[in-house]
Amino acid sequence: MMLGDWRRCWKGKRSDERAQSTYLTASLSPREGGEGERSKARAAHLLRSGEKAGDEVIAVSQFVENFLQALVAGLLTGAIYGLMCVGLSVIFGVMRVINFAHGDFMMLGMYVAYYAFGVLGIHAVFGSTLGPYVAALIAGPVIFLAGILVHWLLIGKVTGMRSSALRSEGHYAQLILTLGLALILQNGGLYLFGSTPVSISTPLASNAWALGPMYRDRIEVFVNQGQTVAAFIAVVVVLAFVMVMNRSRLGKSLRAAADNPEAATYMGIDVTQSHRLAFGFGVAITAIGGGLLASGTSFQPYVGLEYVIVMYAGVVLGGLGSVSGAFLGGLTIGLVQQMSTLFLPNQLQNTAIFVVFLFIVLLRPQGLFGTALRGT
Amino acid sequence: MLDIERLSAGYGMVPVLHEVTLRVKPGEFAAIVGPNGAGKTTLFKTVSGIVRPTAGSIRFEGRDLLAVAPAARAHLGIAHIPEGRQIFPSLTVLENLQMGAYTEAGRRAWKENLEKIHTWFPVLAERAKARAGALSGGQQQMLAIARGLASSPKLLMLDEPSMGLAPVAADEIFERIVSIHESSGLTVLLVEQRVAEALHFADRGYVLEAGRVVLEGSHDELKSNDRIRQAYLGM
Ligand SMILES: Nc1ncnc2c1ncn2[C@@H]1O[C@H](COP(=O)(O)OP(=O)(O)OP(=O)(O)O)[C@@H](O)[C@H]1O
Ligand SMILES: [Mg+2]
Repeated sequence: MMLGDWRRCWKGKRSDERAQSTYLTASLSPREGGEGERSKARAAHLLRSGEKAGDEVIAVSQFVENFLQALVAGLLTGAIYGLMCVGLSVIFGVMRVINFAHGDFMMLGMYVAYYAFGVLGIHAVFGSTLGPYVAALIAGPVIFLAGILVHWLLIGKVTGMRSSALRSEGHYAQLILTLGLALILQNGGLYLFGSTPVSISTPLASNAWALGPMYRDRIEVFVNQGQTVAAFIAVVVVLAFVMVMNRSRLGKSLRAAADNPEAATYMGIDVTQSHRLAFGFGVAITAIGGGLLASGTSFQPYVGLEYVIVMYAGVVLGGLGSVSGAFLGGLTIGLVQQMSTLFLPNQLQNTAIFVVFLFIVLLRPQGLFGTALRGT
Repeated sequence: MLDIERLSAGYGMVPVLHEVTLRVKPGEFAAIVGPNGAGKTTLFKTVSGIVRPTAGSIRFEGRDLLAVAPAARAHLGIAHIPEGRQIFPSLTVLENLQMGAYTEAGRRAWKENLEKIHTWFPVLAERAKARAGALSGGQQQMLAIARGLASSPKLLMLDEPSMGLAPVAADEIFERIVSIHESSGLTVLLVEQRVAEALHFADRGYVLEAGRVVLEGSHDELKSNDRIRQAYLGM
């Protein structure tokens, strides 16, 4: 709180209402209420100061400003959605199983970050500016281990790799298992963490950089600092993971196991182990995404349900099983969500995602990016 | 080297192999021939651990193979080049070879093996960066064989390498396998529908019909066998 405070210039404060919480629960949308009045005031000011600006000019510049604001918010939100989608797509890509509990592992990641920040002393060591991001990154390895454990104890037990006849049975069992796991994690979370919404407070989340004023003081776009740092970290994590998948022996063996588990076994690759690692990586990556969200929004143990929609939509958009496609899919979902607020009330954000999602599934079932069932 | 003793196996409740006994000696070129559905692929899959046997034993260099996990069998020196190639389509040609070299032995000898592979199959050097799925059928078969060789195997098991290939491409593959066997002394167990060629090059042959070994013998014994001549060689 100390580090960030000096940066809270009046512009930063003004941007509070604007740029804060443009994630899913965008109750404080920039394009409502006070926002419009402020622009009107500015327009009045411009008129008074002798500018010959017509009503249309004001309306257009207002729209451009809103558009740019939504674009920025969409890209920043989308980067984190992209990260979360990459996690889900790794699991689907390698195991060919939809992980219904994926949103709940994200929720676990949020709580890991929350407790690491508050209780385990990350806050004390790294401060409130850097701390939330360190806490988010810590969620990665912790949830990785949790994922490995869950696969080892539960999901791996029902993998039918031995013969192709048994494989489909293993699939159904895994689906149902992840569904059950989702319920356990949600209710276990409720029991452990309680139902009161929490969030990690960071000064960056309520600070913004102002781009502008541009175009004779008519357009000014705010870029939330917290979201920008989070988006940057998300992109770095995705790039690092893509490197691991493309370059390392481990990554190649995961892709080989995804391409053809039987042939991978002939190569000496332990496919069950590959699945276990893929599950661990998948939930860990999404948990980092959750950890990054944890300092921008408040959450409770059912938060995963809100985000599985986003993740499924992003992964399907990106073409099932493609890592880079999943990231672009998530990015697109973020953009669609934020852009929709230009035309639709905030409550319809998810509806907009679904409509776009349905259109793409109908018109281009292999996804927007890349072909279906490919590696990275 | 490979000793299969009274092996029975199948899928679920459906038995396919019935007390199959088969031996491959070190350095030998052995061939298994037989009609469609005889169980040749099933036999290979049982050796590799994808299909679980119901009875019998498999030994590799004296070791009980059934006690070894499927994925660990490649590390003992068994390279299984499966029916239908089964390359990794989304990986590049080079990455496919690297996956072949997933075994410890393959990793240690990676450079020499790659050099040899590239002299045997120059096209794999030319197309090293291409996605394996983009190769032609014949090239994919070469890749599948090369991927097996990249593991520095002691035993090369080939399941119908000529399947689905144009006669010219099939001849080329066949010739290459023989020359690899002759130049490196690698033990080969080959399943083939092209009986004449297979028996021509094999030191020892087995005829598998309906899951049973109905005939076995050395190169000369089989070539002079009347039943083989009539049923398979059309003489
Ligand atoms: N996955 C499977 N599940 C059930 N039955 C199978 C399976 N694979 C093969 N079979 C059956 O097992 C029998 C032997 O098949 P296999 O593929 O081993 O024969 P093959 O000798 O390799 O034939 P081909 O020359 O056509 O390759 C066949 O009757 C086949 O229908
Ligand atoms: Mg076969």
